[in-house]
Amino acid sequence: MSSVAVEVSRPHPPGFDGRRFASNAAPAAIALAIGVALWETAARIWDQPFFPPFSAVVERLAELTAEGKILTSLVGSLSNLVMGFAISAVVGVGLGMLMGAYRKVEMALDIYVYAMLTAPSLVFAPIFFAIFGLGRASILGVIIVYSMFIIIINTVSAIRGVSPALIEMGRSYCASERQLFFKIILPAALPLIFAGLRLGMGRAVKGTINGEMFISAVGLGAVVISAGRRFDAAAVLAVLLVIIIVALIAIKLVQIVDARLTGWLPSTARQGRAGRAAAPG
Amino acid sequence: MIEITGLAKTFPARGSNAPVDALKDVNLTVQDGEFLTILGPSGCGKTTLLRMIAGLLPWDDGEILVNGRPVTGPGPERALVFQSFALLPWATILDNVAFGLELRGVVKAKRYERAAELIDLVGLTGFESRLPGQLSGGMQQRVGLARALAVDPKILLMDEPFGALDEQTRRLLQEELLQIWEATRKTVIFITHSMEEAVLLGDRVALMSPRPGRIVDLVAVPLPRPRAATVDAIEGSAEFAKLTAGLWRQLREMQLFRRHSAQGRHRSSEPAA
Repeated sequence: MSSVAVEVSRPHPPGFDGRRFASNAAPAAIALAIGVALWETAARIWDQPFFPPFSAVVERLAELTAEGKILTSLVGSLSNLVMGFAISAVVGVGLGMLMGAYRKVEMALDIYVYAMLTAPSLVFAPIFFAIFGLGRASILGVIIVYSMFIIIINTVSAIRGVSPALIEMGRSYCASERQLFFKIILPAALPLIFAGLRLGMGRAVKGTINGEMFISAVGLGAVVISAGRRFDAAAVLAVLLVIIIVALIAIKLVQIVDARLTGWLPSTARQGRAGRAAAPG
Repeated sequence: MIEITGLAKTFPARGSNAPVDALKDVNLTVQDGEFLTILGPSGCGKTTLLRMIAGLLPWDDGEILVNGRPVTGPGPERALVFQSFALLPWATILDNVAFGLELRGVVKAKRYERAAELIDLVGLTGFESRLPGQLSGGMQQRVGLARALAVDPKILLMDEPFGALDEQTRRLLQEELLQIWEATRKTVIFITHSMEEAVLLGDRVALMSPRPGRIVDLVAVPLPRPRAATVDAIEGSAEFAKLTAGLWRQLREMQLFRRHSAQGRHRSSEPAA
């Protein structure tokens, strides 16, 4: 039998592509440079104590780091973040799968999930404080409230979105329920689940700092609070820089795991997927 | 042998939609090694019928026997080829073709060996490590066919497999399917809405009516076998033209009748409203 010659468009393979990275990174780098320059000049012209220039913030960051405040606080915040996000991810994906698979579970829990998603998460901080006290559990509670529900919602739509044709194909080849789940539904749902995890990670970082600021003065949140009390704007912004960097790295890590597991997605679909994710954080 | 007797299916009412009689008193016998094509207008329930034979859809009344045993679900002796291909987009061509075997617990080395044979049979050697999204529609359906053949079914159920392909690709695949069938002689039930395709491929053409779907005619196709090498001559023959014209006449009548009766119902309801 003759095979027919066909033009095949090859999506980007997973893994590092130097040229693409450069072409994607260049605009971001230019935008960052412009932003820093604007900040620096505006702050110097305006000359207000609560709006220090970028150079002063970097200087303050170096001082704080030298004092050892940043690193120890960072370690504390990161461990809160990792633990809170891990619980959110495991419970969120698990619950989302149950809700996606069983219509009745979804109907029962839907209202709670959306209520919790739209409720201002910090409202729960005093409640956790009352239950768990000043300890770590309160902060973890805040992180979970911040990040879990967006993960649930994305997981539900991920499971729901699995092509019925693929499931029917599996059935027609006598797949067991277990095989259907692990060989068809889970891999098919993975891209959208990861979109939820990415959004959840961003919210988990927010939850970590907010929890630390409002419940017990630990971690980076504590540094922000104490600097704020001293009207040390440069220190506040310095910690903010650290937090943003942590958030970007954390989200990048999720993306790297995502790209490893769902490298089969064409790059165009990958870009479009951010838009498909439910309710941005 | 597949024996279908008195098969009926009504889809229950959904919201404001009235219940739909999808199939009514379908009787059909398919011999071992026969290539049966089922031809009907869209919405006549041909796919519904095929999904029931595949064991994917329950029915209300009647019986389907495959080799004397009643169908209660999917079975290893039947394999389905889908109009939408239904390939796993994350799995390579090799893994897609081997998927049915993987579900049956065949070890990797064995199932890959078998999959490679089938990939060769459908002319996709060299594409083993590609993903479905990197292949054209025609190539994807070759993968779908190879996957079905890999589990070595006795019966191949094909649901408008070439319906989503362009005309040129479809003609090539028809020839290839004839070649493969003439070499393997599996029992095939092939759904189509094309008269030409039904006649070119089939030993018999089962003609279905619009809803409720019934087998209204069984037309024997006396064209000689093997046909793969002589497709052009067959399609140019008077016999072929006569058969397709006859089928079209019946199909057109059914469609016109449906339209008239729909209009008639509409008119008679007007004075009452």
